[in-house]
Amino acid sequence: MVNVTVDPLTRIEGHQRISTEVGADGTITDAQSSSLIFRGFERILQNQDPRDAAFLTQRICGVCPLSHGLASTNALDNLYGVAESVPKDALMMRNIFQGLNMVASHATHIYVLFGPDLANPAYKKVLTTLGDTGNAVWKEMVGRFAPISYKMDGVAVPAGSSYLAAIPEKKRLQEMIALIAGRMPGPSSLYPGGYTYPATVADVTKLASYYLQVMDFVSKHTLKVDFNTWIDNTYKASSPQKAVSFVTEHLTDLVNKSTSSNDFSKDAGWGDVEFYAAFGSKYIAETLGLPASLGHDTIGGYKDPSKICFVAYGGYYKYKDGYDPKSPAGDRIFTSGVVSGKLEYQKFDPEKITESTAHSFYQNSVNDLEPAKGETVPLTDPSKIVYTGGSNSQYSWDKAPRYDGIAGEVGPLARMLNIKEPLVTGLAQAFNEKGYSAANVYTRMLARMQETVILAYELLNWVTVDYNPNGKISVPIDLNAAKNNSGMGLWEAPRGALGHWVSAGSDGKVTNYQCIVPGSWLMSPRDSKGIPGPLEQSLIGSKINPVGDVDYTNPVGIFHMGRSYDPCISCAVHTIDLTGKNAPNTLRIL
Amino acid sequence: MSTGIKNLVRTLDSVDFLKMDRRTFMKALGAMGAATFLGTYKSDLVSALEFAETKLVWLHGSECTGCSESVLNAGNPDLVQALQKLNVNLAFHETLCAQQGIWNDGKLVNTSELNSEILLEDLYKEGKYFLVVEGSIPNGPDGSGRYLVIGNKTFKETLGEAAKNAIAVIAVGACACWGGITSADSEVAKDTDYRGVAFAKADSKGGMLKELGIDKPVINIPGCPAHPDWVLLTLGAVILGKIKLEDIPSIVDDYGRPMVFFPPDHTVHENCPRRGYYDRGEFDTEVGGEKCLWKLGCKAPYSHADCAIRKWNGSVSMCTQAGGPCIACVEPGFPDTSRPLYVEREDVGVAGTNIDTVAKVAVGAAAVAAGVHAVRRMGKGE
Repeated sequence: MVNVTVDPLTRIEGHQRISTEVGADGTITDAQSSSLIFRGFERILQNQDPRDAAFLTQRICGVCPLSHGLASTNALDNLYGVAESVPKDALMMRNIFQGLNMVASHATHIYVLFGPDLANPAYKKVLTTLGDTGNAVWKEMVGRFAPISYKMDGVAVPAGSSYLAAIPEKKRLQEMIALIAGRMPGPSSLYPGGYTYPATVADVTKLASYYLQVMDFVSKHTLKVDFNTWIDNTYKASSPQKAVSFVTEHLTDLVNKSTSSNDFSKDAGWGDVEFYAAFGSKYIAETLGLPASLGHDTIGGYKDPSKICFVAYGGYYKYKDGYDPKSPAGDRIFTSGVVSGKLEYQKFDPEKITESTAHSFYQNSVNDLEPAKGETVPLTDPSKIVYTGGSNSQYSWDKAPRYDGIAGEVGPLARMLNIKEPLVTGLAQAFNEKGYSAANVYTRMLARMQETVILAYELLNWVTVDYNPNGKISVPIDLNAAKNNSGMGLWEAPRGALGHWVSAGSDGKVTNYQCIVPGSWLMSPRDSKGIPGPLEQSLIGSKINPVGDVDYTNPVGIFHMGRSYDPCISCAVHTIDLTGKNAPNTLRIL
Repeated sequence: MSTGIKNLVRTLDSVDFLKMDRRTFMKALGAMGAATFLGTYKSDLVSALEFAETKLVWLHGSECTGCSESVLNAGNPDLVQALQKLNVNLAFHETLCAQQGIWNDGKLVNTSELNSEILLEDLYKEGKYFLVVEGSIPNGPDGSGRYLVIGNKTFKETLGEAAKNAIAVIAVGACACWGGITSADSEVAKDTDYRGVAFAKADSKGGMLKELGIDKPVINIPGCPAHPDWVLLTLGAVILGKIKLEDIPSIVDDYGRPMVFFPPDHTVHENCPRRGYYDRGEFDTEVGGEKCLWKLGCKAPYSHADCAIRKWNGSVSMCTQAGGPCIACVEPGFPDTSRPLYVEREDVGVAGTNIDTVAKVAVGAAAVAAGVHAVRRMGKGE
C-alpha cells in the first residue's frame, strides 16, 4: 500500500489536496479530499445593506462571479418582493450574461484546466507502443492539448493548437459579457428588480458578430460536424437511443475514413469533441473497433449507486415577466430536480439539504442541520489544522452537504440528466447497462461539452430572438420591503447548483446571509455517518492510471478525477455562520 | 510603422513610460497599440538585459482567481503574446501550469516537469525571477499562517521563500496589495489576520513581508480585479529594465501604485461616460437609466484609476457605462471603505478614516468638491 497524495491539485480554482491509499494493482482503497483555505469573509454582509451582496458575493469566485451575483440577485428579488415582476427583457439580459459566462467557464475548463492532462507523458508511454494508430493518436493529443511552459524529457513542448486557440475565444466571450455588463470579472450590472443596462440594437449586433467568431472557433476546433446537425440529432433528438446512435454512427464514419491513413487530425473531421468522444472511453473505443483508448469511463465512477445522487437547483429564466423564486422547476430552462444513483427521477426539495461538519475544521457541536441552522466556528488552534490524520479525522475546510442524507454530484452532468438531455442521458443509461458507473470522468466531460454546445444554441435565441432592446429593463424596489423579510435565490453556476439565502431585520439590514455552493457538494469530506463525498467516492475503487502500468509517481487518473469536477475551492469552503447559539445573527458565506 | 509613430517611438525610447504622465502615456498607447508598444521596447532593449529570458513565478494565496481571469482577458497584447514578446518564461502559475504536487508516502516524487513543488524548489534556488502574488496571506491563527496550507507548507512560509529569492515582487489585485475582501471587517478578521504583501489595509507596516522581515521592492497593482493592462504593462516595464528597482519609489504613490495608472490627481469620475449628466445635475435614482450614478452610490469621484479612459475587456465598456456605480475597488481598504455601495457619500472619502494624512487630504478634497458640486447641480436641476 502506498500513500499517493496530490497537493496541490493545480489547474483548478483555489487550493485542494487529494490523499489516497493505493494497492499494488493501482486501485485506490481510501481517499480524502481536503480544501486547504479558510478565507472567513462570510460575515462581511452582516448588518449591511443587502444590495451590496450581489456585488460582494461575486468575490467568492473570480471564475464564476456572475453566478454568485445572480444567485444573490435572485435572493434579493425575493427579499424585496419583486421576483414576480422582473421584466422579461431584464431576465434575458441575465440569461445572456450567465450563458456567456458558463460557455467561457466550460471552455476554460475543457482546454486550459482539464485538457493539458491529455498531454501527460503517461499516455505517450502507452500509445506509442500501439503502432501507427497509437502514435497518431498521441501526436494529436500533445499537438492539441499541451499547455504553455510545458516540457517533456527536458525538451520544451509547444502549446497545443486547441489550447492556444481557446484562450482568445475565452477572452472574446468575456468581452461580450463586458459589453453588456461593464467589465468581466467583477461586473456591476446586477440589481434587484432587473438589470442596470439595456443592451442597445448596436450591442445586439455586436454580440451577434462576436458570436459568429466564437462559432468559427467551434467549427475549426471543437466540433467538426455541422453545429445545427449536431443540435438537431442530439439535444433535439426524439429519444436518448437516437442521440447515442447518431453520435456513434458519426464516429464510425470517421473511424472508417481514418483507419487506413491513421489521420485523426481536425482536417480529417476529428474535432476535439469527436476525438474525445471516440478515444476517451474504453467502451466506446471497443465498440468502434479502435485499438487504443484513454479509459476515462473506467475511473471516477461511483461504486455504490445508493450513496450518490445528482442534484440541480435549476437555472436560466424563460422569456416572460417575473419568475417564481421558490419553485425553479416551473419556469427555468434548466429545471431543478434530483436523479438517484440508479437514474430514477425525483422532485427537488430545498428542505432536504443538510450539512455535516464532523470531518471539517470546525468546533462543531451539533450535526446534520439544515443550512440555515448550521453552527460552525473555525478551529483556532494551529496544531489541529492538519491534513494527514486519515479518514476518521477532521481534514478539510469544506463541509459536507447532503441531500436527504445522500452525497450529491452537481454540475453539467447533473443538469443534463435532470433535463433528460438525450445524448448525455443515453450515454449514462448505456454505461449503466454495461455495468459501468453512469457517472465517470468520460460522461462528466462529455456532459460539459454538450452543455456548452446547448448554451451556444440557446444564447443565439436569447440575443437575436427573445431580447427586445426597447423593452423594460427594471422595476423599482422599495427598500422597506426587506424589513423582517427573507429571500431565497436558487441558480446554476458552471460547476453546479448554487443557492443564496438572505434575511433582513427590522432595520432592513442583513441579519443572516448564506450560500450553498457547488464546490462544497463535489469536494465534500465525509459526513457524520462516515460516508465520503462525491469526489472521494469516485476515487475509491478507481485506478490511479486508467491505462498502462501502475505509476505511483504519475497518478494521472487522480488528476483526471479531481479535475473532472472542475473544482472551485474558494466557493467550496464554508466558513462560519450563523444562527447558532454563539452568533445568532451572523452571516455565512462559503 | 508610419513616420509619426516612429518619432513617437523615439520619444518613448528615451523615457521610462511608467514615469510618463497619464496623458502622454495614453496618447502613445493609443497611437501604437500596446502590442507594438511593448514590442518596440523589446527589440531595443533585449540586448541590454542581463538574461535573455525572464522568469516569472506567479503564486496564488487566498484568492478567487479573478485577477488571473482578468489577465487572461488581456487584449493587445494578450497574455500569450505578451509572454512571447517579452521573452518571459511563465515558470509557475498554479492555474495554468502542467505540474501539480505529487507525494508518495510523504515524499516528493517525479521531476520538476510534473511536480510543482520540486519545480518551485528549483526556481527558488536559481533565483533571478520576478514574483507575482495574487491573493492575500493569512497570518492566523495565532501567527501560524495555517489558514492556508499548500503542499504541506503554510502560504506565509512559501511567500517568504519565494520573495527572498525574487528580484522584485508585484502584488496583483486588492487581496495581494492590502488584503482586499479577505480583510473586510468581520468577527473572524482578527483570527484570520489577513495581510497583503506590503500593506495590511492602508497600513504599510502591516504587510506580510515586514512581518517576515524581508525587504524587497514591491509594486502594487490593485483592483478587484486588476486590469490586465495595468499588470502586463507594469511587468513589461520592469522586465525590460525600463524601471530600475531603485526608481520604483519615484513612480508609485504612497500605496505603492504606479501613478501612471492610478494618478493621485485624477479620478474615474473625470472621464466617466456619464459625466455630462453630472455637469447638468441630472442623476439616476433607479437603475437602468443613462444619467449620473452619484445618487446610486457611485464612488468614481474617490477612485484613483484610469478605468474611464482605458475601459475594460478590449475597451468595450466599464462599470459606470453599464449602469453600475463605481465601487472604488483600487483604493486601500476596499471593500469596507466603499460600503454601503449604493448609498452616496458626501461626508467622507471612500478611503475612510484608515488612510494616512496625505491621501486623506487629497481624497477629502475630492469628496468635498464632488459633494458640493452634486448638491449645487441638483439644486439647479430642480
